[in-house]
Amino acid sequence: MDYNAQLKLQSWLDGELPEAEASEITNWLTRDREAASLLEELRNTHNALAGFEATVRLPESREFFWSKVEREIQRLEAPAPKTARRSYLSLFRRFLVPASAVAAVLVAGLVLNRPTGLNGRSAVAEIETALADSGTFTYRDYSAGTTLVWLSYPADTEVAENDEMGTVE
Amino acid sequence: MKAKLIPATSLLWLSAVLALLAGGELRAEAADTKFQAYLLWGTDDTKPPEGKSYKPVTADIKQKLKELPLKWANWFEVNRKDFAVSQNAANEVTMSEKCQLNVKKLAGSNVEVSLIGKGKEVVTRKQSLPTGEMLVLGGNAPNSTAWLVVLKRIE
Repeated sequence: MDYNAQLKLQSWLDGELPEAEASEITNWLTRDREAASLLEELRNTHNALAGFEATVRLPESREFFWSKVEREIQRLEAPAPKTARRSYLSLFRRFLVPASAVAAVLVAGLVLNRPTGLNGRSAVAEIETALADSGTFTYRDYSAGTTLVWLSYPADTEVAENDEMGTVE
Repeated sequence: MKAKLIPATSLLWLSAVLALLAGGELRAEAADTKFQAYLLWGTDDTKPPEGKSYKPVTADIKQKLKELPLKWANWFEVNRKDFAVSQNAANEVTMSEKCQLNVKKLAGSNVEVSLIGKGKEVVTRKQSLPTGEMLVLGGNAPNSTAWLVVLKRIE
């Protein structure tokens, strides 16, 4: 008798077979003495175990217990992370912190040393040297972005004496 | 660890962007700076002097001159020069026989401008002149007119 036949017999004894298959087994038992003998042995074993079977009660609900089993199976079946990639990533992460610190220092130095003043204009002071003209005045129109430097040079009299149009031509 | 890494990464990106911007500015400084210089004549008359074919000044210059405390109503263009100056270099532009303009490009948007009249340095001015802004040097001319040398930064 092969192993599958023995299992079918066990299933028949446990009442797990469909009706058609169960009647086939019943017929087979009447014809085969070896099968009938095995059935008797299985029945005796079943009866003996049934008397000593301790009732085990789960401390949690059935659904919760099976969900734990399911989670454990999923955990074991999950693909293991690639070790090489994790090592590159960890190396990159280790590099990030000091690199960021160095970059921050460089940027701070760059920003703090830039000679910018109000409105992003240069902080270099406006310096004016009137060499031949002491009567210079300066007007600054910030909205138009225009600076006017008015000179008293050339003096009207000087121009009038020598030129038709002063400094223009 | 992850919570620490997120700001570190952001900082790195921010630094990279700022460094790129700073690099761009440095490259921009290295390029030539372009200027336009105008020699203008101001009058209350609507026409230029007889025998002169001066054109009225361009609308944008006229508008900016209107915003300055100048009393003259009309401005005519006597001469115009386009020129470029390299970083830390100077360029002398002849606006008329008796008037030259010396423009030196300093760091950032700073310029040093000297006006030379009849071969003598009349005034030297060092200031910031960002793109689009103007420096106007001027004075009185005979017959209640005026002269202006306008320096405009184009790029």
